[in-house]
Amino acid sequence: MKSKMWTILSLFVVMSMLVACAAAPAAPAAPVAEEPTAEEPVAEEMSWWAQAAEAAGCVDTTITGISESTPPSNYSADVIAPQFEEESGIKIEFETTSWGEMYDKELKDMQSGAGVYDFIYIEQDIAYAYIDRDFLSDVTQMRIDNPELAFSDFDEGMFVSFVDYFRDPENGNLMGVPMEAFIKTYLYRTDLFEDEEIMAAFEAEYGYPLAPATDHEEYSDIAKFFTEWGEANDMELWGTTVQAHTGHAASWYEGFTEVPPQFGVYDWGINMDNWKATVENGGAMNSDENKAALTWWLSNLEFAPPEATSSTWDETAATFAAGRVAQGLIYGENAAWVATDPERSIVVGNVGVALPPTEPGVLDAAAAGEGSVGYYDGGAFGIPVSSQNPLCALLWVQYFAQEQFQPEWAAASARVTHNATYDSPELQAMDEQTNGYFTLMKDEGELFAGASPFPFHATLREEILPIWYKAITGDLTPDETLDQMAEATDAFLVELGYGE
Amino acid sequence: MGWGLLAPTLIILAVAGLLPFFYIIYVGFFDWNLFSAEVGMFYTGADNYRKLVFDPEFLGALRRTFLFTTLVVSIELALGFFLAQLLTKDFRGKTIFRTIHALPLVIAPIVVGAAWRLLVIPGFGPVPYYLDKFLDINYNIGRFASHAFLTTVLMDIWHWTPFVTLTMLAGLSAIPKEPMEQALVDGANRWQIFRHLTIPMMMPVILTTVFIRLMDALRIVDEVYMLTGGGPGTSTRYIGIHIWQIVFPKTDYGYGSAMSLLTLYFTIVLCWLVFAAITARGKQSS
Repeated sequence: MKSKMWTILSLFVVMSMLVACAAAPAAPAAPVAEEPTAEEPVAEEMSWWAQAAEAAGCVDTTITGISESTPPSNYSADVIAPQFEEESGIKIEFETTSWGEMYDKELKDMQSGAGVYDFIYIEQDIAYAYIDRDFLSDVTQMRIDNPELAFSDFDEGMFVSFVDYFRDPENGNLMGVPMEAFIKTYLYRTDLFEDEEIMAAFEAEYGYPLAPATDHEEYSDIAKFFTEWGEANDMELWGTTVQAHTGHAASWYEGFTEVPPQFGVYDWGINMDNWKATVENGGAMNSDENKAALTWWLSNLEFAPPEATSSTWDETAATFAAGRVAQGLIYGENAAWVATDPERSIVVGNVGVALPPTEPGVLDAAAAGEGSVGYYDGGAFGIPVSSQNPLCALLWVQYFAQEQFQPEWAAASARVTHNATYDSPELQAMDEQTNGYFTLMKDEGELFAGASPFPFHATLREEILPIWYKAITGDLTPDETLDQMAEATDAFLVELGYGE
Repeated sequence: MGWGLLAPTLIILAVAGLLPFFYIIYVGFFDWNLFSAEVGMFYTGADNYRKLVFDPEFLGALRRTFLFTTLVVSIELALGFFLAQLLTKDFRGKTIFRTIHALPLVIAPIVVGAAWRLLVIPGFGPVPYYLDKFLDINYNIGRFASHAFLTTVLMDIWHWTPFVTLTMLAGLSAIPKEPMEQALVDGANRWQIFRHLTIPMMMPVILTTVFIRLMDALRIVDEVYMLTGGGPGTSTRYIGIHIWQIVFPKTDYGYGSAMSLLTLYFTIVLCWLVFAAITARGKQSS
């Protein structure tokens, strides 16, 4: 009898603990705002955000978000979020972490429906996958359904064209609010390119004046020249960066996503009509053009510093900022600090920007809207369907998108999501310091494109990455690599249910 | 009453330990990829396991992991035992040495990986710089598979040898001294004493240490992922990293679950083989 009682008591204790640890009940419905009676004193005028937070029942609520630890995200966490908290009374727990960790955590949360996060960072290349899986709340519809929470100054037309990458393909509604956008473009060292001795030596060797490369042959010539110049003059100087990490997908993003469009190969060479990648099945992954692209990209390793095969986007920027290369394809989010921050860069004031090199006809095709010359990257903040505080998160995603924050945010972290930001004094000053990076982005941004609308982006990437790495390590030739990747893609997409 | 007091622990262990294990077994019989054209889990029987047996990436990861484990466990055991023997003697600076030697143990694995990455990253790290400057060695973990593999082995040895040392030291301190003294009186030399007395008496400690290190080394992920990402290519993509890549970035939950289970099976078999080998050798010695 006694032992039975102890057993029951222990079970009771455990059950109590489990109940105490259970998820909190859903937030109660927003209370209907009462009209003040004639006897009540008139309240002090509250900001719109405070009123909206009260209407949504979000005052003193804490919303949790996750983002990548990059300058734009850190700015939103450190500068904009505290202001939101003060104005609205809604608290924010803002987690910034590595790209891989962020992606992993938010995906687990949304897939399991756990509701840990109220807003997440949506990388442009994963947006379609999330939309396809109905992971994201429809921001446009939420604003329609909750007019008292729709900030009047929030206008979808105020964003740059990059916003279109976060629209539901079926109805065009906004599924994420852009918070960063930048182009991966061509940076070069103006101090080296404009040095008279160097210019004379280059022209003597190659027969044409030294200038930012417009095609890949020129790019290779310049890379070779500066590598030899560095050796001859006992300098730690190489011709180019190469983002060729042999164990991280960053190499994929340069060698397989940024460079092939410059050779006229788009959408990873996958034919989206029949979901095939091999040339014989109507794809272009193992086409001659793509093989030329990979061969060219790999040839740059000879003229790159030793850290190239350990470099992601962070390391290539660091390499450029350390003055170790003459040119490189660098993400725009790093362009500003490389060009302007003397505490982190020794090439301040000596950074030029230009369009990436392209093969004949590619630039015209891009201008006609039929291709691109490089990668338009960035992300948005979206509200997971699993969020436990979606209305509170709706206020946040509208708050940070206000025009007032954009100029300083852009100057601090080299990202532009609003058209009007280009004309702000802050950005114009930064534009001068970066030798026209923002002018380039404004005028030529439409020549760049984001990732293709594949719902299987990450899954396919992981399937064929092991083959891709073999090209960099030299275990396979470029031709063999692309042939194997294309065949593997055809087989894997069928396995996933795409194509026959 | 005993069962009653144990009940909370058993329930928590069952929920946190057994339930996920049975769930993995269940998921392993399904084709379940989050981003496939059709959403959901589709029963495929033993297809995942059939595929695994012929999967070159999986088998390669297993092979690399076994090689890595064999190297690190045997080197750590030998080195740790040697250092433990040293620490049983008195010498100047013994306390400081023991403290410094034990420091790597308190560092989180991800930090170990980050620290080693800073040391050995080509172009920026001091190790490749000085190797090139003084020994003309082109050391590059991003380009050469052998360099990356050896670096992961060295990193693990640096991190976990102190654990072996301290465990062996505790064991050596606990074994009685009289049999050794008697053997000395009887004319045995130091090697004979070590082989016929010390080792057999230390066998339980050695066995425990080997098993702990074996299981840890077989599932290494964070340090290596931080250092090399599994590269160059797949040369340091050990089974833990491989499973992680399949389950998380690739979101192939069914295949990843089958892989996890098969890996557990191989781990159990390996541990049993090691146990049998060591205990058989111990019986022969006694």
